[in-house]
Amino acid sequence: MKRTPIVLGGTLAGLIGVLLFRTTPSHTSFTTLPGAASVSGTATTPASAASAAPAKKASSKKTSSKKTSGKQAAGATPTATASGNLASSTRSATGPEVNYNWGVLSVKVTVSGKKITNVAIAMLDDGGNPRSQMIDQQSIPILEQETMQAQSASIQSVSGASYTSAGFVQSLQSALQTLGV
Amino acid sequence: MPPAHPVHHLEDVMGTIVTIDVYAAAEVTGSGLDVLHGQLARAQAVLHHADEVFSTWRPDSPVSRLRRGEISLAQAPAEVAEVLEACAAARELSHGWFDPWAMPGGVDPTGYVKGWAAQQALVAFSDAAFSDAAFSGAAVSGAIVNAAGDIASFGGLGNAQPFRVGIADPAAPRRLAAIIELTGAIATSGTYERGNHLIDPHSGQATSGAASASVTGPDLGLADALATALAVAGQPGLALIEALDGYEALVIGFDGGKRWTKGFPLVELSRI
Repeated sequence: MKRTPIVLGGTLAGLIGVLLFRTTPSHTSFTTLPGAASVSGTATTPASAASAAPAKKASSKKTSSKKTSGKQAAGATPTATASGNLASSTRSATGPEVNYNWGVLSVKVTVSGKKITNVAIAMLDDGGNPRSQMIDQQSIPILEQETMQAQSASIQSVSGASYTSAGFVQSLQSALQTLGV
Repeated sequence: MPPAHPVHHLEDVMGTIVTIDVYAAAEVTGSGLDVLHGQLARAQAVLHHADEVFSTWRPDSPVSRLRRGEISLAQAPAEVAEVLEACAAARELSHGWFDPWAMPGGVDPTGYVKGWAAQQALVAFSDAAFSDAAFSGAAVSGAIVNAAGDIASFGGLGNAQPFRVGIADPAAPRRLAAIIELTGAIATSGTYERGNHLIDPHSGQATSGAASASVTGPDLGLADALATALAVAGQPGLALIEALDGYEALVIGFDGGKRWTKGFPLVELSRI
């Protein structure tokens, strides 16, 4: 197992753009491992909300529409005690460990109010095979690309940034749901 | 009203993520959406088929077997010969700077295949189905297939604006180094994510002549091959692209300096 810290900032709008897949059947599916999400931070969400929702989401296919994603997110929203300080508090959550093509990973996200201030790989186990290591080295740019797009609303795509597996997005999505954003 | 964006899909294939986006003049609903989803399914199938045939990572793929000499070109699926023929043409056009036959481990068309597959996938959205009655009220205005930063497209946004595409800054991958108005395809090669993975076909050594090289043109397969060539050749290679009809290029040096061919479709910063 190795740890790969990857840091990026971006607007929440950009990330939500990534997470709301508007369509369709995919050949990819993800499996959640036992143990699911963990939460830490200055305005921590209740543990019950943290552990239940992400596991459910991560085992579903990445086919959610805007509407269904909204509902699932609502189901995972922390209770009012946590949301009272949401506007200014710094909170972080780690998504469930998700199987991707070449191993297992999980993603940790930190938000301040509604702004994502940090996204990092919390755990990455690629089994050490050369193929997966090459892919891992492409690192997290799926998020970076979509963040760039969100920051510059005037572009539709980015050339030159390559991606890691969609498993990253899967774990991130769960972490965000844990935080109720 | 902002242009409609009825499809935004991520497909996990070819060891990377391929994003597929479709734009329309108005929201697509009902049977129009069914047509779009059918096209999307075809595009997905094209990508997975290309992966199965051309993967050099799958030991049982036809290309892997060809590389090991277990099958002849005639025994491989027909598209293998088609792709190798296109690779030979790209080798010629690039004066040998792109050369799949000079790779370690035998012929490796990977530098062409990703772009070729994305271009093939795009066809799923641009064929006769567009004239289907289902689209009479919500014409698709354009589509983008982005295979790990190599982009095939047609058309533009539903409000008659062309697509704009950012080129990632090789020195800071979260930033953009340039923005272009896209007609057709753009491929970018360089040292963004994988370190120094390019091989100089003339010496067989790992090398890199530029931090990043982007090539635009009508066909993403060729643009991909030419971008690979240009990333190895560096700035002097721009003359090769300048001489090619329909293809333009931008090279970013290790010092961040940019050089481009006369027709490269840069958007001036003042217009962004």
